[in-house]
Amino acid sequence: MRQRKLSISTILQHTLLILLSLIAIFPLYWMIISSLKNEADIFNSSIIPWNATFSNYVYAFQEMPILRMMLNSFVMATLLTAFQLITSILTSYALVRWQVKGSTFIYLLISLSWLIPMQVIMIPNYVLVNQMGLNETLLGIVIPLSVSTFAILSLYQSFRSFPKALIDSARLDGEKDFFILVKVILPNLKSTIASLGILLFINGWNEYLWPMLITTEMENAPIQIGLRSFVNSDVNMWGSLMAATTISCLPILVIYFILRKHIIESFVRYGIK
Amino acid sequence: MAQITLQNLKKSFGKTNVLKDISLEIKDGSFTILLGPSGCGKSTLLRILAGLEEESSGHIYMDTKEITYNEPKDRDIAMVFQNYALYPHMTVYQNIEYGLKIKKIPKAERKQMVTGVLEMVELTDHAQKRPNQLSGGQRQRVALARAIVKRPGAFFMDEPLSNLDAKLRNHMRQELIELQAQLKTTFLYVTHDQVEAMSMGTHIIILNQGEVMQQGTPKEIYTNPQNLFVAQFIGSPPVNIMKQGDYSIGIRPENIRLVQAFDPAEDTYQIDGELLSTEQLGGETIYRVKTEYGKLNVKTPSRWDSIDKPVQLTFSKEDVLFFGEDGNRIAPQYELLEDLRVAPQLHFA
Repeated sequence: MRQRKLSISTILQHTLLILLSLIAIFPLYWMIISSLKNEADIFNSSIIPWNATFSNYVYAFQEMPILRMMLNSFVMATLLTAFQLITSILTSYALVRWQVKGSTFIYLLISLSWLIPMQVIMIPNYVLVNQMGLNETLLGIVIPLSVSTFAILSLYQSFRSFPKALIDSARLDGEKDFFILVKVILPNLKSTIASLGILLFINGWNEYLWPMLITTEMENAPIQIGLRSFVNSDVNMWGSLMAATTISCLPILVIYFILRKHIIESFVRYGIK
Repeated sequence: MAQITLQNLKKSFGKTNVLKDISLEIKDGSFTILLGPSGCGKSTLLRILAGLEEESSGHIYMDTKEITYNEPKDRDIAMVFQNYALYPHMTVYQNIEYGLKIKKIPKAERKQMVTGVLEMVELTDHAQKRPNQLSGGQRQRVALARAIVKRPGAFFMDEPLSNLDAKLRNHMRQELIELQAQLKTTFLYVTHDQVEAMSMGTHIIILNQGEVMQQGTPKEIYTNPQNLFVAQFIGSPPVNIMKQGDYSIGIRPENIRLVQAFDPAEDTYQIDGELLSTEQLGGETIYRVKTEYGKLNVKTPSRWDSIDKPVQLTFSKEDVLFFGEDGNRIAPQYELLEDLRVAPQLHFA
């Protein structure tokens, strides 16, 4: 067997990559070991938690309805993903399938709306949600975010590159427009939509500012809001914060292990956001 | 079975007129070819007839029924696409069955129809495969099966063989001819390949820049082209065109004889030339000859002996095509050939 030679450039490349990975992983590692340190050791810079304790976790669970908030996060992220997928699929299909006058203009408007920052429309949205009486509800969080420009623009490209002859063929077969979408287009864009769905879910899980406006009660808020409560002007409870953060990362970690291949693919496909 | 009639069909995209006032009859049971260079509007015309695109104005009739405003599914046609357009997520069987399912044909009947068609295209063993597990030729046959199973009044085909390799293309050409003979249904076939057109069509319609240049049987089109475009488009190598003032005269390469010893037969015309290249095609040979009227192609049955450079070309006046200033065919003007006429006495002098 021929022995593979390690060239200097390969070694350099790999060293660099390993270094970068360590930099990326280190904060996570620090988070986990800090969550295991007791109050006295928290500012100790040892990278191994010699006196590991779970007291931070116990405290975090006592202080906050963590499970309840994680469920909130999960429901919120799932609903957001579902709504954003549905709206973006329908919009892209309409834009690609029917080249009516002004469709380019509509597409342009949608693209431009991406440039409007969330902070600008936050207050009017808040007032509206308030008037609808959806304060303190997950729907109040989800409805204003149920259309994602990012999702529409990403899917629009995939829909555009979908072979037109397949759609024509289905039309000749006598299929109805809605079923052309459901039975012909979507089954062939499964992996695209799965990738997008994963990204949208992670985005939804990490949503912070908007849910904070809508909810004041811990029971109604997603986990990201809860984490914040460990940091306040009087005391910063780093240990508990790290414990709660570690817990809040778990679901994403589990999803990642199950869908690892798809997630990497979706990052490659859509770029890291 | 159906005759398709087009009346004053026009189509424009913005300011570009893709189809300019087309009126045609596609005869019932004919194998009609829409032939033309790319961008001539032939595919657009087919798509309009299929209802996949909207015409700007004009009318379409199937037999006596107007179908101009019908949805594609209500036009009693089936279409075969260039890239086959098979549903990638369905098996061969499901692909063929799909249209029948939508038509709500009962399952037992569906099964009978699909199995029958699968047998016909010899794909029974591949029924449960996905399109990506099939070869190009097999995919093409699935696409055909999907069309056949609908038992349409007319088959539309948009360059269905252009993705196949040369050998398979020849084979599929034969199969399509046989299929048409068997089904006796109207075939409307779009291609830019004159060989396909000549070999398969019972009727050829030649389009250029959105206009019908000529229509007729392959023989009519070849032997009796109505204008320069048709004369030059059909035939390989293309017809030789010589400019004589405002007029053009054309002679097909196979109608020129290459001689080295002059034969003073009557009504023979002669051009002196110099042999540039020889192309052996097996059964026949193409010579490229430089003359004072430009470079001319000569096609003869193969002769394997080598030829001296100075050659003489002769042809008969019956084989000459005459075209006027506007490129349209005109009545023979033999006086245009006077320069080329051989005066036997001069030759022997």
